[in-house]
Amino acid sequence: MRRLPLTVFSLIFFAFLYLPLAVIVGYSFNANPVNMLVWEGFTLDWYRGLFGLDRSFDPQSRTVYVESTPQMLAALRNSLIVAVSTTCIATVLGTTAALALNRYRFRGKALWSGGLMVPMMMPDIVLGIGLLIFFTSAGMRLSLLTIIIGQCTFLTSYVFIVVQARLAGLDPALEEASADLGASDWVTFRKVTLPQLAPGLLGGALLAFIISMDDLVITYFISGSGSQTLPIYIFGMIRRGVKPEINALATLIILASVLIAGLGLWLRARGDRK
Amino acid sequence: MTHRQRVQLFLLLTPVTVFLGVFFLIPLGTIAVYSLLTPGLYGGVEWSFYHWNYGRIFGWADGITEVFEPVYLHILLRSLGLAAATVAICLVLCYPVAFWVAGLAPRWRMLFLFLITLPFFASLIVRLYAWLLLLKPSGLLNTVLMGLGVITEPLDILYTPVAVILGMVYIFLPFMFLPLFASIDTLDRSLIEASGDLGARPVQTLLKVVLPMTVPGIVAGGVIVFIPAVGNFIVPDVLGGAKGLMTGNLIEQQFLSSRNWPFGSALAMVIMALVLGVLLVFSNRARRAGGRT
Amino acid sequence: MPGPLLEIRAARRSFTTPEGRDFAALDGIDLRVEDGEFVTLLGPSGCGKTTLLRAIAGFEQIDDGVIRLDGADIGPLPPHRRPVNTVFQSYALFPHMSVARNVGYALEVRGVARKSREAAVTEALAKVGLAQFGARRPAQLSGGQRQRVALARAIVAQPRLLLLDEPLSALDRNLRQQMQIELKDLQNRLGIAFVFVTHDQEEALTMSDRIVVMRAGRIEQAGPPREIFRAPKSRFVAEFIGETNLLPAVVRATVGGMAELSLEGGQVLHARADSLRPGAKVVAVLRPTDLAPAEQGLAGIVRRVIYLGADLHLRVEPEGGGGEIGVILRDAGRVPAQGERIVLGYDPARVHVMEAGA
Repeated sequence: MRRLPLTVFSLIFFAFLYLPLAVIVGYSFNANPVNMLVWEGFTLDWYRGLFGLDRSFDPQSRTVYVESTPQMLAALRNSLIVAVSTTCIATVLGTTAALALNRYRFRGKALWSGGLMVPMMMPDIVLGIGLLIFFTSAGMRLSLLTIIIGQCTFLTSYVFIVVQARLAGLDPALEEASADLGASDWVTFRKVTLPQLAPGLLGGALLAFIISMDDLVITYFISGSGSQTLPIYIFGMIRRGVKPEINALATLIILASVLIAGLGLWLRARGDRK
Repeated sequence: MTHRQRVQLFLLLTPVTVFLGVFFLIPLGTIAVYSLLTPGLYGGVEWSFYHWNYGRIFGWADGITEVFEPVYLHILLRSLGLAAATVAICLVLCYPVAFWVAGLAPRWRMLFLFLITLPFFASLIVRLYAWLLLLKPSGLLNTVLMGLGVITEPLDILYTPVAVILGMVYIFLPFMFLPLFASIDTLDRSLIEASGDLGARPVQTLLKVVLPMTVPGIVAGGVIVFIPAVGNFIVPDVLGGAKGLMTGNLIEQQFLSSRNWPFGSALAMVIMALVLGVLLVFSNRARRAGGRT
Repeated sequence: MPGPLLEIRAARRSFTTPEGRDFAALDGIDLRVEDGEFVTLLGPSGCGKTTLLRAIAGFEQIDDGVIRLDGADIGPLPPHRRPVNTVFQSYALFPHMSVARNVGYALEVRGVARKSREAAVTEALAKVGLAQFGARRPAQLSGGQRQRVALARAIVAQPRLLLLDEPLSALDRNLRQQMQIELKDLQNRLGIAFVFVTHDQEEALTMSDRIVVMRAGRIEQAGPPREIFRAPKSRFVAEFIGETNLLPAVVRATVGGMAELSLEGGQVLHARADSLRPGAKVVAVLRPTDLAPAEQGLAGIVRRVIYLGADLHLRVEPEGGGGEIGVILRDAGRVPAQGERIVLGYDPARVHVMEAGA
């Protein structure tokens, strides 16, 4: 087959995927404070500014940074609180659902397994406004709690799918063998099912964590004024105008997600090899 | 099932059922209810039946004037067109690459699959922001093109539908790639050889053997890209201007600035109906196509 | 006299197929297994043999009937409370545990102290010839070694009864034959009763004290291997156990324990048989290996010659017609040619006669 044109096309494709990210990283080190799109030398000022470490700024722009640093850190803290909570809840809910659908035969099983996918397939804007109407009608103040509840709906779907796939790949005879050798249901779950499930569980949890950290649309509708998360904070910053600090922040976020994703893929590869 | 198993099943299934019942099904139900309520004068709702929310979407503003004004219908069609264009471009870009990756040696394959999924994990808003920088009149794209002498005036792409499509394609590429790859990867390569052996030219092999056999992947990728694309409001918000207004932005406005929740709910219902329709039609088609192979 | 080790009476189990039809996997099974006995459940796939095994282990519930072990009804007990262990077809070794921990699992979950556990594990591994392999992971073992670990794991808690679900089916032919002998030896040494499920008649004949042939949820015939092979009660059993010729015939006369049968083509076949009524329609069962060229016997034309190394297979059309007869010659001095006339001799004592329609 004619391989060369295909290879060239594919390499351009990958360049297209990564060029925008590289551009952000590059600009984040650009010293030009007036027009950040024109290169003027290397600097770490924007990273310092991000964390409020720089004191030599001109007063006008400095006010912006001083005020935005605590806000950014608060948003990061909110994001972490939300992501950790949703990961725990969604992992438990998704895993119990996957276990129920994988080892029991019951009527309406197809309905459940289909239904558990729906939150993931629902356009996020629809889910977002649905939750907004629901929470306000129920008289709940928009807060981190509403964000956590809202994100758990669709994150449960993701965990369910990942864990379900892992469960389906397990030999059901393993659990039977354990029971056959005298282990009760609980002991079998602890000693055989759970260790076998661990890579899938970890993969599902990691996916939930990343998606939760990144969720913008649903959180956008159900976060109150005091409960901004990091993506919403950045969204707001971008809406107000492009500032060099965003490049630094974006670079850090790219770095963090690459690390987490790499960890996840490594864990999965390790799980497959076992 | 024994009694013991029934108890276990109940304990496993109840929490998730209750949670999704309360926080997923009921919110969706409230959208349906709200879409049929009367918008209040100062942002609230009145608990009386009102079908002009839907009427407005399809061109009739209310019961009094009854002048056909399809401004919202246009926006809806534009969203559909944009989502369709995104699907088509993603498909055209991903198909050859998926084919290429599937033919690589296992080690390289793992690497490139990793490279495809990685941007998916990098923040959505950050990736959009990157395009904002690239497309600015003084941005990298224009600088490079003008430096090469391809253009003399900066391209004014930013804040146009073209920018929105670019951004959507960029964001949804991995969604299209993975199902396509899964389908191409399981394709028996000897079928391609057989087709060539029987005298088909490469183009004929592609059209008569490869494409039909990867229909399930194409359909799955298309659906997975279409669903988030059709109601998207973030991409038009960041990259699209006033001309790039999409149904998603319209819904967002109804909830966060105009405070016409019933009209926003009706729009959301239309989006949901579109998505469900696509899912029903294409999941059946994908299954049938899958069954044929 | 003590009762049997395992007693199953009138066991029934039906499933609903995805198309919604009811299907009886066990359709009234009566079975007794004595202590120390090696019983094989033999039958084609779908005959209910695996369901029966799983019902004994406790993985399937029976809808009707009784399963007793040492006289006690074990029907209501979950699998982990039954003194019965299983060797699985896939071996089902826990991939995340070492070989030693796999083998010691039954003792671990019973709370046996580490010291005595280790001693038992060492002993069990020694019994299957894998004393040095305790520290390995299952993934590092060959198929045959995994098979032995599965065995060691199942015997470590000294079950009353060992169930084996086609444990040799994943092994290649040579290893399978070796394992058949080892399994039988192990069973003799342990003195534990084995219930062995297989669809391979050779395995069944090699190892069993008793073979139970199953078909469509019922027991077709049960008895020692030789009886099953030599005196099948039905066409199904005759065809399932080894290659065979089934020749429809009519009883002409019986003289002094010797019957004279008339085959469809008109030729006469002698069989050692009592109590056959002249005029009765019967089927003569004649094994291909019991036929050889001779002066007297069945005459026919060689239609096909298949050379298989040690064996020579012939398809012979009897004179006067009436289907083809298969012949297996172990030691062919001269290879008959296609189209040649041949006379096949046989020992009348080796001709088994069963009623037509059985």
